[in-house]
Parts: sequence; C-alpha cells; structure tokens
Amino acid sequence: MGKTVMIVDDSASARTMLGLTLKGAGYDVVEGSDGKHALSLLDGRKVHLIISDVNMPNMDGIAFVKALKQTPNYKFTPVIMLTTDGQESKKQEGKAAGAKAWVTKPFSPTQLLDAVSKLVLQ
Amino acid sequence: MNEMQQAEQAFFEEARDMLRQIEESLLRLENDAQDVETLNSLFRAAHTIKGSAGLFGFDRIVAFTHHVETLLEHLRTGAIGFEADLAAALLSCADHMGQLVEETAAQIVDPGTEAAGGALLGRLESWLPASAKVAEPQPGSSSGHELIQARLWHLTVAFGADTFRNGMDPLAFIGYLSALGDVCHVACDAPEMPEAEDFDPETCYLRWEVSLQYAGTKEALAGVFEFIRDDCEMHITAPDAAVGEWVEILGRMKGEAQRIGDMLVGCGAVTRHELAAAVAAQSGMGREAPPLGEVLVAQKAANPEIVQAALTRQREQRGEESRFIRVAADKLDALINLVGELVIAGAGANLLASRLKEPRMLEATRSVTDLVEEIRNGALQLRMVQIGETFSRFRRVVHDVSRDLGRQVHLEIEGADTELDKSVVERIADPLMHLVRNALDHGIEGPEERRAAEKPEQALLLLRAFHDSGSIIIEVSDDGRGLDRARILEKARERGLIAPGVELPDEDVLNLIFQPGFSTAQKVTNLSGRGVGMDVVRKNIEALRGTVAIASTEGQGTTIVIRLPLTLAIIDGFLIGVGNSSYVVPLDMVVECLQLPGDIAPACNFLDLRGEVLPFIRLRQLFDIDAPPPLHENVVVVRSGAARAGLVVDALMGEFQTVIKPLGQIFRNLHGIGGSTILGNGEVALILDVAALITLAMNADAKRAPSQEVVRAPGTLRTARA
Repeated sequence: MGKTVMIVDDSASARTMLGLTLKGAGYDVVEGSDGKHALSLLDGRKVHLIISDVNMPNMDGIAFVKALKQTPNYKFTPVIMLTTDGQESKKQEGKAAGAKAWVTKPFSPTQLLDAVSKLVLQ
Repeated sequence: MNEMQQAEQAFFEEARDMLRQIEESLLRLENDAQDVETLNSLFRAAHTIKGSAGLFGFDRIVAFTHHVETLLEHLRTGAIGFEADLAAALLSCADHMGQLVEETAAQIVDPGTEAAGGALLGRLESWLPASAKVAEPQPGSSSGHELIQARLWHLTVAFGADTFRNGMDPLAFIGYLSALGDVCHVACDAPEMPEAEDFDPETCYLRWEVSLQYAGTKEALAGVFEFIRDDCEMHITAPDAAVGEWVEILGRMKGEAQRIGDMLVGCGAVTRHELAAAVAAQSGMGREAPPLGEVLVAQKAANPEIVQAALTRQREQRGEESRFIRVAADKLDALINLVGELVIAGAGANLLASRLKEPRMLEATRSVTDLVEEIRNGALQLRMVQIGETFSRFRRVVHDVSRDLGRQVHLEIEGADTELDKSVVERIADPLMHLVRNALDHGIEGPEERRAAEKPEQALLLLRAFHDSGSIIIEVSDDGRGLDRARILEKARERGLIAPGVELPDEDVLNLIFQPGFSTAQKVTNLSGRGVGMDVVRKNIEALRGTVAIASTEGQGTTIVIRLPLTLAIIDGFLIGVGNSSYVVPLDMVVECLQLPGDIAPACNFLDLRGEVLPFIRLRQLFDIDAPPPLHENVVVVRSGAARAGLVVDALMGEFQTVIKPLGQIFRNLHGIGGSTILGNGEVALILDVAALITLAMNADAKRAPSQEVVRAPGTLRTARA
C-alpha cells in the first residue's frame, strides 16, 4: 500500500501540480486549501507526511504546525514547509514550531520528491 | 486534455485571479496605505504566483515576479513606504505579469515584452534598499566539482533524541542514501540506551555507521541530512582519493587570496554547514580561540592535510613579495661565519664533555650538537640562490654572438629554479661563458653545413641545471657537429701529449682538450671545434671543488657536464696528522690509504701502486716539520681529475666535517694550502689544496731520470679505503 502525503496550499494550481508529482511517484494524496481545512481532514486517517505552504489565509503554515503538534494522532507526522528564499525568519519559526524539513520556493518537482524521500521510506 | 494540461490551465486561471486581486489591493492601498491585511494579501498573491509558476517550470514568470515579491515584502515589513509613484509602478508590474501569463499560456515569447520587463525592473530598483538588490532566485546550488569515480565514504550519524518526535525516520535517510550511492555496510548501535525502566519509546538512542560507495561531493552527501543536521551529530570521512582531488583543486585556485574557510568550501573539503558550525564555535571561544583550520580539524570536519594544503596555497596567493626578505649579503656571510664558529665551539664542548665522562654533560652537549647541525644546515640554505639569473644573462650573449656569426641559435633553459650557493653562482658565470661561446663558435655549424647534414637550420643550445645526490649538475649542450676524435688524437700526438702508438679510450681522448697547451694552438682549436681555454675552465671549476666531463657524438653535438658541490663553506674532510700538526684533505679527493713501504729510500718520491707509478710528497718535508717520523708512515692517495699522487703522513684520523675559513690576504700566494679550519680542541688545521700538491708531485716526479727503476712496493701492501 502506498504512503499518504497531505498537501496544504491555498493555490489550487500548486496543489494540483504537487498532487500530480506525488501521485506520479506512487503516493496517495490528500489536499487541504489552508491550515484550518487541513486540520479538519485529519480525522484519524493515516497520513505519513504533510507538505504545507507558509503563507495562507485563515490559518498559516506556522499556526497549522503548532496545532498539528497538539493533535494526538498526528503529532509525530513529519512536515515539510514550503518556504521562500529570503524568508529565513519564517523558516526558523517553522522549525521552532516543529516543521524540521523545508523546501525553498521556487522548486522543481524533482527537488520536492527528493525532500519527501528523505522523510518517508518507500 | 490530460491531467498536466488541466493543472496548467488551473494555474493560468488562478494567476489571472491573483493578478486581479493584486490590482484591487493596490487600489485599496491608495486610500489606506496602512491596511495590514491588504498588504499581506498583496504579498501572498505575488508569492503564490511565483511559487506555482516555479512548480510548473514557467521561469519567465518566476524571474519577474521574484523582484515584485521582494519589493512587496519590503512594503509589508515597512522597510519602504507606500506612495503613488510606487503604486503606479506596481500596477504596471501586475499588467506585465498578466502579459507573461498570457504569453506562457499561448506558448509564445515576445521580445518586446522582455524589454518592457527590463525597463519596469529598472523603475523598481529605485525603491529597493541596497541590500536587497543582489537577491536573485537561487537555483538548486551545486559546488560544481563533481567527482567522477565512485569511492568509499564513511558516515557516522548519531541521531538526536528528538528525531522520532520530529517525525523523522532514520531508516528513510539510510534509504535515501542508497539512492545516492551503493550502501555497502550499515551498522546500528545505541550506546546511550538506558535501562528498561528509564527507556522512553519516543526518544531516539540510535547511532548509525554507514559505508557508502559514492561518486559525488561532500556537500551533496551532507545535504541528505539537512533536515536533522541541527539535532544530530554527524561526521563524514572522505576517501583518501577525494582528499587528493581537493588538494589539486586548491592548487588550481586562482586570483586573490581567500579566507581559509572559503577555500576549503570552494574545493569541496568542508560543507557550508560545517564551516558555519566551526565559525560559531570559534567565536564562542573568545580571544584565545585557535585558528579556524584547527577548529575544523578538531570538529572532524576536515582532515589536517587538506587544511595544511589550503594554508600553503593561501600563503602562495598572498603574493611573492611578502614571501621574501632582502638581506645584505655581508650580514648573511657574517651569520654563516658565526655558525661556523658555533660548530667549532660545539665540537670543543663535546670533546671536553667526553673527556670528563660526565653523562649529563655528555647528553647536554649532544643535544646542543644536534641543534647546531640544524642551524648550520639552515644557515647554509639561506645562501642558496637560483641559477636562473645567471642562465638568463646568456640570452643576450647567444643572441649577439649567433647574429655576428650568421647562425640561428635557440637557447633553451631548464631548471632555472635550481638553487646553489651564492658564491658558487658568482664564480661559475665565467667558465659557463667560456663554454657557451665555445659552443657558439665551434660546436654549432653554419646554416649551409646544417642543411647539408639534414639538421634544422636553427641550432639548439641547452643550459640545464638540476640537483643530483648532494651536488648540482650544470649541463651545456649543443646539437652541433661534435668533437672530431681523430683530429684531437693527431694533434695531441703532434704536441707530444701522448706517446706515439699509445691507444687511448674514447673518454680520455675527449678529455685531452682540457690539457694545458692543447688549447694554445689556434689551428687545433678551429679544427677540433673546442679548446679555447678549456684548461682554464677546468681549473676554475676544480677550484670550486667541482668536476667537468665531456660527452660528444660526432655530427650530433656535445654536452659538457659540470658537477659542483652545493656549498663552499663546509666540506666533508679527511683529517690527517704529521708531527703535532693536523691537515684536512677534501674527502671526495681521497682515493685510498695505504702504509708506506718501509724499504723506500728517503730520497725516493714515487712508488709502485699495483703496477702503476704513484708520485708522492712527504708532507713532513714539504712543510718542514721538525718531529721524528713514526715507525710506520701512511700514504693517502688523492686525485684531482685524472691525476693521482700520494701524500705521506704520520696519522690517519678519519672523516671530519670541516668549516672552511679562508686564509688571509698575505697567504694568497702560498701553494698547496687552500684554507684553514679549527678543530674541536681549538687547534688550527690547514686544508690542503690537493690539485696544487698533485702538480707539485708530478713535476718532482718528472725530474727523475726516465731510466730510473721503479721501486716495487712489497706484496704486503696494506690498502684501505678512506
């Protein structure tokens, strides 16, 4: 059975593109449009990895990770933050919140898959 | 429409939405420049466009939006204020982004759009703080030095206690490694594992050792662990071959001297992260902090060789001037002289200590002696200069002379950086000039002759210097006509230098041109091709305790090989005694030692050494020493060039490192003595001028009637190599 990756991004096209990339590499994909929406999707289903954007309306990536760490079944789920070059402070904030991995935008699909395979054993 | 195309369509739709949002936000900000939520959404829109475009590989949109995003970031953080001009510029930017999106959707590139984009960015420049102007989208960085061959790397990773809590899976990293290279060996252990009651299942206690066959950079390998680097302890041991390559890359580094850390990162030996960690550790150590190279070695980030190589390279790059100090030659000479005195004084102390037989004293003097020897070698090294300058002088000579003679000659210089004693360099210039002129005058043929001999018209003259077992060799070669042995032999017979009917080995024939008198006949000189002052050349070189040899192939050229000692200040001597006096013979001139046969008449001055006549000199008589001879006198057989003679002495006292002290001016006409030295006990010993003594012995020998019979040495002749 494939591993499940959750994508949290407010951009529908980014979600689609990330989804295509991950599905192409054999992962199952769950999409959340922002932090709040993503939390509502974490209803007990098995998620092996979460990829989250930082800048999102409603609940941004940092707040989402902080909330995630308080959610019993998901507090040890690894998170990859999608950060932007020049936003070093955001990256540090994300790390402090518990998102230890990151990919810097703009990135190619290969760069993302690279980061994913460092965290999820296939 | 496939999934990919659908996704792209979704992106274009979304981008159009975002651009509309940007437009609205900008208009809203014109009314209220402080609206934080609007500023944020403005930034987010540009950010989203850039991020998604990057994902789809729409680089034109990414590149332009990047600059807009940077500006909006500054606007959002308040680094710059919102103003009407800026709003107008940003609206134009939004329009331009729209244009880029439409062109990308239609898969066209309009050069006009590109130009307009450049102009817009120029307008934005004026609002950007200086520090932000360098910001460019960073593609995935690579250090550029790709190793080609797979080699065995070794990694040790002690995962941090929070690894599991952070959602990290050690196995995933090992799995990732196997995608990078060939994992040959994995060992896992847990030295920190507590007793069962203290065990925390959420804590990671694991340590992994991995051997990996890998063909990439250290930076890339360390990159595998970038997500856990802050929490884990990791060491990467590079294969030796990679270290060698790093040293090579260091050697090729050009330009300005860099900081040591940058050099190490540049060649790939240290990762950026390791450097940052070392710099942090160093600044944490305060004023007493060790150099960065040492910190890196201590942290096992770099091995000592590569740090040393980088330091050496750095020194090299800091420019030639700072590596040399100009020192007046007389200061240096004074130092060498003092070192000579030190050697003598040290030997004196040593002698005294061995007489006193006090072990602690002996030990102390011995270590002083060792140090003195090092100082002596170091001091002599100071006088070493490169021969290149002397060689280069001949460029002009070769140019002028070959033009005068109407010959084309190419001068080639090899080993210009070979070092030898300054005084030797000064005194070798004249003999070399002689040899070079000879080669040009007589060795190298005219153009017609060369053409006839099917040689290239341009002749080659080669000056070459190199070190060979404690000596320096200087060669002067030409590709001219070579020496005519038959003519040399003929002329030598004519001049009575060799008896008629005597056949000489090839080498000896060539050596005839070094004979005094041979060269004086101009006619012979021109015929033989060589000989102008060759005896003078040889004398000069021997005065430097050197030798000269000649090799020649008719029609192909001649090579003169000069062998010189590295220094004139100190020689290996052989100490001999006559009465109460001591003398030193340069060791390389001593052939053998034997006992003087007891039955030789006091007036006789030659003996039979294995069938050959050996003239000898009694030093007792020569120096008028008033002491009774011992029961058995000894003969030291010495040679200079091909000539041999014996020196009759009382005692053979063995090898002795001799510091040469020149004799004063008033002794300059003294024959048979070349200098003086001081022995460990403070006594003065004279250094014999062997070449002069041999001449003296030969002349005395020549006076004896040809008919006189050679006295045969008894069969019990005792011989011993010195």
